Amino acid sequence: MSKKTISLLLSLVFIFSIALTGCGNKEESEAVKVGMATDSGTIDDKSFNEGTWKGIVRYSEENEGAIEVRYLQPEGEQHTNYINAINDLIDTGHKIIVTPGYKFETAVNEAAANNEDIYFILIDGTTHSEDSFDFVKHDNTVCVLFNEHEAGFLAGVTAALSTKTNKLGFIGGMEVPAVQKFGWGYQAGVHYANKTYGTNAEIIDYIYQGTFNDAAAGQTLAAGMYDKGADIIFHAAGGTGLGVFSEAKQRAEKGEEVYVIGVDIDQYETGKISTGESVTLTSAVKGIDLAAYNYIDAALNGTFPGGEIVTLGLKENAVGIPEENPNLSEDVINKLEEVKQEVIDGNLVIPSTQEELDEFLNN
Amino acid sequence: MFDILSSIFPLALAYTAPLLIIALGGLFSERSGVVNIGLEGLMGIGAFSSAFFISSNYESLGDFAIILGIIIGALAGGVFSIIHAFASINMKADQVISGTAINMLSSAITIYLARSLTGSANIQIIKGFIKNDIAGLSKIPLIGPLFFSNAYATTYLVIIIVIISWYVLYKLPFGYHLRACGENPQAADSMGINVIKMRYIGVILSGILAGLGGAIVITTYYGEFSANVYSGLGFLALAALIFGKWKPFGVLGASLFFGFAKTVADMSQLFEALKKMPNIYFNTFPYVVTILALIIFSKNSVGPKAAGEPYDPGKR
Repeated sequence: MSKKTISLLLSLVFIFSIALTGCGNKEESEAVKVGMATDSGTIDDKSFNEGTWKGIVRYSEENEGAIEVRYLQPEGEQHTNYINAINDLIDTGHKIIVTPGYKFETAVNEAAANNEDIYFILIDGTTHSEDSFDFVKHDNTVCVLFNEHEAGFLAGVTAALSTKTNKLGFIGGMEVPAVQKFGWGYQAGVHYANKTYGTNAEIIDYIYQGTFNDAAAGQTLAAGMYDKGADIIFHAAGGTGLGVFSEAKQRAEKGEEVYVIGVDIDQYETGKISTGESVTLTSAVKGIDLAAYNYIDAALNGTFPGGEIVTLGLKENAVGIPEENPNLSEDVINKLEEVKQEVIDGNLVIPSTQEELDEFLNN
Repeated sequence: MFDILSSIFPLALAYTAPLLIIALGGLFSERSGVVNIGLEGLMGIGAFSSAFFISSNYESLGDFAIILGIIIGALAGGVFSIIHAFASINMKADQVISGTAINMLSSAITIYLARSLTGSANIQIIKGFIKNDIAGLSKIPLIGPLFFSNAYATTYLVIIIVIISWYVLYKLPFGYHLRACGENPQAADSMGINVIKMRYIGVILSGILAGLGGAIVITTYYGEFSANVYSGLGFLALAALIFGKWKPFGVLGASLFFGFAKTVADMSQLFEALKKMPNIYFNTFPYVVTILALIIFSKNSVGPKAAGEPYDPGKR
């Protein structure tokens, strides 16, 4: 036998054995593979990625054997990095793909069109092409948005009811819809509390820092605001907010009474100082885990709302403030319950755009 | 106007301190003849080590843990820089590539270690340094509120290190030897100076100072180690080093310049008087200035002549 024939035979055997093992695997596992691609930052970022992943893991724990989970960190934050990550997940047999963050919008738009048999769950964004922001509908994709303005509103009411100096601050990260909505809700909340509960609070500084990872700038801004007499700052600025916490914690260690309102998740632990107290007044939280959990369930049970933009709010218990708020007084908590009920009943509509806010403030 | 200044000054000084100490680390390394673009990575190692130490020992040691923490951050940076020293001095590897490797290795290894040691890539410390007025000095009119109020102890530590560095580099034989190795290692060798040893010292000092810088970042404004710590401070320090013409007080001036530009840019939105200033110029300022400085200075190259070249005793 010539060398060529031998190598041909060997490769045939090899290919055949791979094909066989492939079959074997398929028969063994019935679990649907669920994959997640991470947004900027790591999987344990205490924010978006971690929240989404928590929801996925919770689902797999509560429904043993139903899904097999895995996450992938894209190599960069560009459209192509995201596309590559999604394709890698699809190539390795993942049938449901979860992507947190608006940065995935264009990548999911492209991937959803090319892979019609895959379910996509896009959290905090809507699919659109690279050249326009118009929503593109895909029957295999659900876009989940949150009513951040409702959480921001509760933060505003809390701040107005709790301030002693009647001066408040706001520090946002990038000026993107999710952050803006927190801010608009916050302004509306302060205004509502002034009108309804007779408080006298004013937002003296309202600033978008421009990034989510500049802690130095966060500290600088916070220091400036506290120096000007503000005693509560609401931050919706991710890593930039860490600087706000650093400043507040240092002041609290010296005995100053200053507070931060956290964002996305309950940041009570982040605000802890050496006495065991925390500078976190409360947090405007977003139930990101709930979105991942619910729509994986929907995809598996045939109720997947493909092609829809779903908005989750106070009503769905997907945004709001944490259950436990050790720094809030009984009175504030009771008032917040009232406000919450008003919103859920539909008596109170929170502004979610600049125009709506202007109108709300004029009433 | 004075309140704006007295608000900005302490914050700008606080931000300048880590930048300055990292740049000074780069100075020692480059003066000995080894280019070190791994400063960012070394800073990250320092940040991680100090955050890990403080978060796990604060309960038992109290405030003392913070001081030990920055020492440990500095030492960890020094130890990690030995990799760079070995590759670029003994193995004669390309120093830029070795430095890049340090940066990549550092951001990966610290996140990995953080996750395997604590279960999360974010390590939070309960308490770091606290801004305080310096008793007595803060009462001096004009200077007091600007330089001695609301300041971190680490800022003064950094300034003292700058002065010591200047003294060591320009007044002691050790400094002459170190600089000779960066200018003309063959000549230094012929005079009996151990070039390998001097370059090792230069690189390890740079690791220690960059690590200290990372520890200061954590204990003053970050308060938490995470992947976000790698946001380019090490590269900005390199820019300060070049802009400062590889001289301790030049670097001090350049760092202050950058620190103030950034702080003013951040603060400008808070004060009516500054609101009209276009903060995009302040933000891009350090980078534009560095490029301009490179263009202007590269003609009569002020950097150490032998920086970047592996030492080859056979070459004359």
